Amino acid sequence: MFDGQDHVQSATDSSSQSAAARQKWTLTQDAFDKLLLMLGSGDRESGSQKYLEIRSNLMRFFEWRGCSFPEDHADETINRVARKVAEGEEILNSFGYAMGVARLLLLEIIKSRQREQSALTEMGTASEAHSDSDDGENRVTCLQSCLQTLSTENRELILQYYQGEKGEKIQNRKRLMERLRIPVNTLRMRALRLRERLQGCVEECLERA
Amino acid sequence: MAVDLNSEKLIAQYLLGELPEEQQIEIEDRAFEDEDYLTAITAVENDLIDEYVRHELSETERRKFESRFLASAERRKRVEFAKAFAKVAAESTVPKKIELTPRTVSWRESLEAFIRGLNPAARFAFAAIVLLILLGGAWLMTETLRLRTQLTQLQAENQSRQTERQSLQQQVETERRQNEELAARLNQEKQQREQSEDSLRQLSETAETTNPAPRPIIAALTLLPGMSRGAGEKPKLLLPENARLVRLQIGIDPEEPYQTFSAELRTVAGRQIWTRENLTARAHRGARAVGLTLPATALKPGQYELKLSGVAEGGRSEDIGFYYFDVIIRHD
Repeated sequence: MFDGQDHVQSATDSSSQSAAARQKWTLTQDAFDKLLLMLGSGDRESGSQKYLEIRSNLMRFFEWRGCSFPEDHADETINRVARKVAEGEEILNSFGYAMGVARLLLLEIIKSRQREQSALTEMGTASEAHSDSDDGENRVTCLQSCLQTLSTENRELILQYYQGEKGEKIQNRKRLMERLRIPVNTLRMRALRLRERLQGCVEECLERA
Repeated sequence: MAVDLNSEKLIAQYLLGELPEEQQIEIEDRAFEDEDYLTAITAVENDLIDEYVRHELSETERRKFESRFLASAERRKRVEFAKAFAKVAAESTVPKKIELTPRTVSWRESLEAFIRGLNPAARFAFAAIVLLILLGGAWLMTETLRLRTQLTQLQAENQSRQTERQSLQQQVETERRQNEELAARLNQEKQQREQSEDSLRQLSETAETTNPAPRPIIAALTLLPGMSRGAGEKPKLLLPENARLVRLQIGIDPEEPYQTFSAELRTVAGRQIWTRENLTARAHRGARAVGLTLPATALKPGQYELKLSGVAEGGRSEDIGFYYFDVIIRHD
């Protein structure tokens, strides 16, 4: 059963990393329970599912908007919503409300662009430092190993799906659709799932190494 | 939701931060309402990352990409993965010919691909249809077997009935033959009986003729042909009072061709007294006579006329002659 303890701690940590100065209100267990009950219309279990779905979408939103800490911003958004719920505000469309709060938070983030840009520059340097040639070689080795765990059909599919440039890539995908006799959405979904699976496999492989 | 190439271009512009705020909000709202659209955005995101690591983006796009995609650690991981993937894909031994020539897809692969391409609801519906088809097939097979069994039983019953019918026909035929044989035997016995009766009658007549009974109970008279009513003395039958029978011997021409005769006895006044058919003639010492026996009580004193007719072929009756006699009661 989902208890939200990790999230409370994570939210507290992330707020210390990004917007600690702004955040005077902290998420309590009671406020989080109220939030889950509100999201699930009285059912805490379904509220937990809804919470995870909203958090995932908020992370995507901040990622698409080019934010450095999508996960932290998502948690900050949820904290602000939880605060409103704890204060007794009635929320009818929880996700729409959360997206509204997220966009306000994004405006705040944009206003502090200078500080974000500095952080980005630092992270970029750190990234370049992180992705040295040894790490790159290890990643390739892990990927080759992970590819072998796929079936021949899936291995051919993902290699052909992402093979080629621009027009050639489009033609490859059309051929795959014709060969497998599946619509574009299905092919795209299969390729995405395989890519996510491979990436997860590679990350685990690197951690073991 | 299906996304065409233009939409992918629009999504790429969104991801690179090239769209106005309103359009960005529109895309985001749609993405969180439509799972297919969300998938399309992720796919375009991956393509952009691949194009970046392959140096396929323009300089402007590259700068925008770096400002957006290299900002978060999660995305940087994806970029690192894409670099490794591009290297492995370039070294991969997937033959170009196989890529260009669509390989023959077995029905099983096609079915699997088809099922994978369905959404959960469609998969459930497909499974339900397959289940229905299987159940229907099983039911049809069971029904077919049941009907075949019934057909076999009916054929056996029909065969049994035919055999029974043939047996009954044979039985009827046998009984018919037995009936015919019985009828033939009956006819034969009837003929034999008639012959016996004739023989008995002849014997009786012979016995009467050859052994005239002295007893007074039978009176006899012989009538000769050629005697008319008014011609002289007519024959007289002296009838004793206690006589029981009268025996008339009617003489005929020996050349008469008839086999059977009939006799009709009347009074002179024309009243019919006695008739007899199927009489036969008997020859004796060159003469022929027809015998007629009748009860004595039929005759009263007086004059009588007897007409004798011959029965020709075809049953036609022809008169032969008329005989006249008187009856006188004798009182002893």
